[in-house]
Amino acid sequence: MDHITICRCEEVTLEDIKNTAKKHQCTAREIKLRTRAGMGYCGGRTCRPAVDAVMEQVTGEKPGHDIPLKVQPPVRPVSLSTLRGKQDEK
Amino acid sequence: MRNNRRIVDHPVLGKLSDRKEITFTFDGQTYTGYEGDTIASALLANGVRTLRVHEESGKPRGIYCNIGHCFECRVNVNDEPGVRACLTEVKDNMVVKSGRVLPSPLVSTVNDTLPRTYAEFIEQQEDKKGEV
Repeated sequence: MDHITICRCEEVTLEDIKNTAKKHQCTAREIKLRTRAGMGYCGGRTCRPAVDAVMEQVTGEKPGHDIPLKVQPPVRPVSLSTLRGKQDEK
Repeated sequence: MRNNRRIVDHPVLGKLSDRKEITFTFDGQTYTGYEGDTIASALLANGVRTLRVHEESGKPRGIYCNIGHCFECRVNVNDEPGVRACLTEVKDNMVVKSGRVLPSPLVSTVNDTLPRTYAEFIEQQEDKKGEV
């Protein structure tokens, strides 16, 4: 069970998160900075609820707003070229 | 075994209607799909499940959420990187390339012993002195 991948973008397993949380007794935000879970391509939109759930199990930290995990995912990821408006590159 | 892994007669959705066949390439190999397919569904019908590999470890990746949420199926389409195969409709003569392993100059260590605080740093220095 522990070898299950929580964050697929950065390949962080449940074991990694559990061990780091136990070792450092740290917050969800610190877990993110230490393991890179939730810092990948998808912006943490996929794994953040799982990371929060694991943290609640291991350290009892409830996902709140006091020390945010600092995930601010956009509603839809948009490339800069879309914002700029498509232009022919010359 | 090409382009035939489809449900032709679905109990609820009915029979698969005849659609225009199109060809596209994936990593240099030519595949056929139907108009209206997504890149991911057209490749799945051809038996291709690995759409990219993880940039660092090289582990295979394919369709995961299939709703454009997770970016696990991102491919390179006509030299545009990071295109989600599950949302993008496949077009005739499209050139699709899979994600590759990128060079990684900094190999991370699992057992990091880096000090978190100055106090820990001093502690580690003391330990090192003891070893010598």
